[in-house]
Amino acid sequence: MPARGGDIEGEVIVTRRLSRPKVTAPAETYRRGIGVELEAELALDWLTYERSHVAVYLEGNFSSEDGTPLAVIEQRGRRFVPDLVVIPAGASVSFPNLDPIFHNVFSLSKARSFDLGNYPQNQTRIVRFPKPGIVTVGCHLHPNMSATIVVTPNRWATTAGADGRFLLRGVPPGSHTLVAWPRAAGPIRRPVEVPVRGSISVRLEIPVGAGENQSLAAAGKER
Amino acid sequence: MRYATRTFLLSFTPFAVLLIVSFWAVQSLAASAARSGFHATVRETQRLLARLHSRHEQATKRLLQVLAENPALKAGLQLALVEGGNAEARLTVADQLREINAGLDFDLLLALGADGRVLAAVRRAGGAEAAGTVGERPAPGLRHIAGEWYRLTMIPVNLARENLGALIVGERIDLTEFPIPVVLEQGGRVIAASLTGVPTAELGRALEACPAAGGCDVRLNGVTYFSLPFETHEFGEGVRLRGLADVDAATAPLLGILRRVFLWTGAAATLAALMVSLLASRSLTRPLSEIIAHLQAAELTGELAEFSPGSCRVREMRQLVQSFSRAAAAVRESRERLRRAYLQFIGSMVSALDARDPYTAGHSHRVSEWSGRVAEAMGLEARQVEDLRVAALLHDIGKIGVPDSVLRKPGPLTREERRLIEAHPLIGRRILAEVGGFEPYLAVVELHHENWDGNGYPYGLAREQVPLAARIVHVVDAYDAMTSDRPYRRGMRHAEALAVLERFAGSQFDPGVVGCFRRVAERVRPEDEREAFAGSMEQLAQRIEESGTAFSEAVQSHDAAV
Repeated sequence: MPARGGDIEGEVIVTRRLSRPKVTAPAETYRRGIGVELEAELALDWLTYERSHVAVYLEGNFSSEDGTPLAVIEQRGRRFVPDLVVIPAGASVSFPNLDPIFHNVFSLSKARSFDLGNYPQNQTRIVRFPKPGIVTVGCHLHPNMSATIVVTPNRWATTAGADGRFLLRGVPPGSHTLVAWPRAAGPIRRPVEVPVRGSISVRLEIPVGAGENQSLAAAGKER
Repeated sequence: MRYATRTFLLSFTPFAVLLIVSFWAVQSLAASAARSGFHATVRETQRLLARLHSRHEQATKRLLQVLAENPALKAGLQLALVEGGNAEARLTVADQLREINAGLDFDLLLALGADGRVLAAVRRAGGAEAAGTVGERPAPGLRHIAGEWYRLTMIPVNLARENLGALIVGERIDLTEFPIPVVLEQGGRVIAASLTGVPTAELGRALEACPAAGGCDVRLNGVTYFSLPFETHEFGEGVRLRGLADVDAATAPLLGILRRVFLWTGAAATLAALMVSLLASRSLTRPLSEIIAHLQAAELTGELAEFSPGSCRVREMRQLVQSFSRAAAAVRESRERLRRAYLQFIGSMVSALDARDPYTAGHSHRVSEWSGRVAEAMGLEARQVEDLRVAALLHDIGKIGVPDSVLRKPGPLTREERRLIEAHPLIGRRILAEVGGFEPYLAVVELHHENWDGNGYPYGLAREQVPLAARIVHVVDAYDAMTSDRPYRRGMRHAEALAVLERFAGSQFDPGVVGCFRRVAERVRPEDEREAFAGSMEQLAQRIEESGTAFSEAVQSHDAAV
């Protein structure tokens, strides 16, 4: 067990809409012969969508590997579900095809490029991601399908919940850089001092407001 | 046929025929102009439609070119090729087509494999599955799919030099969407038509006569259509789209207006022609009618009067009237001359008769004169008065047949002599009856000795049985006889003679005539009265002396003399 450290509690606040994802109807709706109203699919409101698509992690390769779990990205309804996964480097992702049609999974990203070929329903392929970085996954057959895998250098990584809240437990005490990576806006870095015990609270505002730290703005530019 | 009718017909008929023919011709021309104008419009419209259509065609082709380069679709077709067309691969391609068509909205979208077989088929979103209905290897062109006509356009999908298959886009052809009825023909056979109520076979027969590339008029269900093939609607395999534009409906309003205008103007022009013809015929025939009326009047009266030529403006007519007037004048003049000669002749004849007895000299002329006056006074017409004068002149003509010995006998007459004398009216009648034109005088000559009470001779007729002319002459004759001297006595004075007449009025004489005679005589012979008063006493005494005996003698001698 690693030494227990402090917790980072935080909240991601998205003040305006950042992305405009194309919503495609699942194959079944076409088969039923029903016309699909695009965007009607999205039940949640846009800010919730944005909040839940923010990866939050700590920079720095200071973690020890232990029991990296297998993440799963399903291909379901001509979509990758979920379309944002945060995994520590060295972890693997399984891509099961649950659609009655063929899918193909490929990546051209620097961190990990691969092509799993076309495979039909109920088959899966597993890919290991040894290097940290951002990996964008697509499907040759369905150009609208896209998922992002954020491979972090350590295991202190998570995604914000629908309410924007996140919690990183047992962070080693000391100075760290907390990164928020909203899919549409690039990383926002924030230095944090993690105590030995207890928790600190962080507020991350996206996009970066006028009163925010200049370095964050610079960091934003960097991407 | 009347001259007026003839003139009218000759002037009006050509006029009317010309009018009708020219109006008909103009109307036909206008109708054909309207029709050809409509043809031109239809041609223009169809050309425009064809142009739009070909532009649309081009756009579709461009779109298809882009579509054929869709990498995902290529990946799908490649997948199908690799997988050998298994169900999941087909479903994958169908799903891709659906996604593509969600935005493009083609009526029909097919994906063919490299072997030309249908891999997947989708209809417009919301439509039913189409895979089963298109056949295994559909070819581009006009196709009848599930009861509807589709025009299929194919574009191959290639990857490098490898053919992955093809895409077929089908656009539904709804013939009822065209603004006019249209017909689809293939090799001269009608395969579809949007014209309701006409069987296809009948449509085909009607269109047989049309040139393949040109327009023609077709009659269907009592309606005339202008049929024209759409120029660039080439569906391949000899399929041709032909429009049927309703000529009648398009030209009916214009033709209706034209017809109304022509009808009214035609009727007005014909009416005007009728009026003009009537006036013309009347103006032509009026002088003639006048001449005819004049001649008819002349026929009735026997008098040929001259015309007053002022009213006639036509030179020929004026000349005719003038010639006619001259001729009439000449005829009348010669007639007058003849009449004068004839009267002179009668006068001479009567004078010769009177001259047989110096005592009766001038008798006939006097009787004629006085009878005329009395007749005038009694209001007879001029013609009757004239006839009476002549008749009175001739009244004693029968005495030609009475021997001088009897006629000039101074003493009383024997019975035989009296019979001879009394025969003179009948003799006169006999003589004159032989002469043509003397009929009006016969009655006077025959009956001027008939008495009012019926005691006269030759027939003993009474009162109005005797013509008035004869009664007048009877009175005047008696008066003249009484006032004339005789070898055996002097003539009576006027007043005496008048008294005698009045005495015997009602028995021997017509009282009306006597009354009238008296009035006439008073007006004409007042000098006789003065003479009577201015006569010498001697004469008066002598007459008084004689009067007693003289009267009965006078009456007797009068009778004898008459």
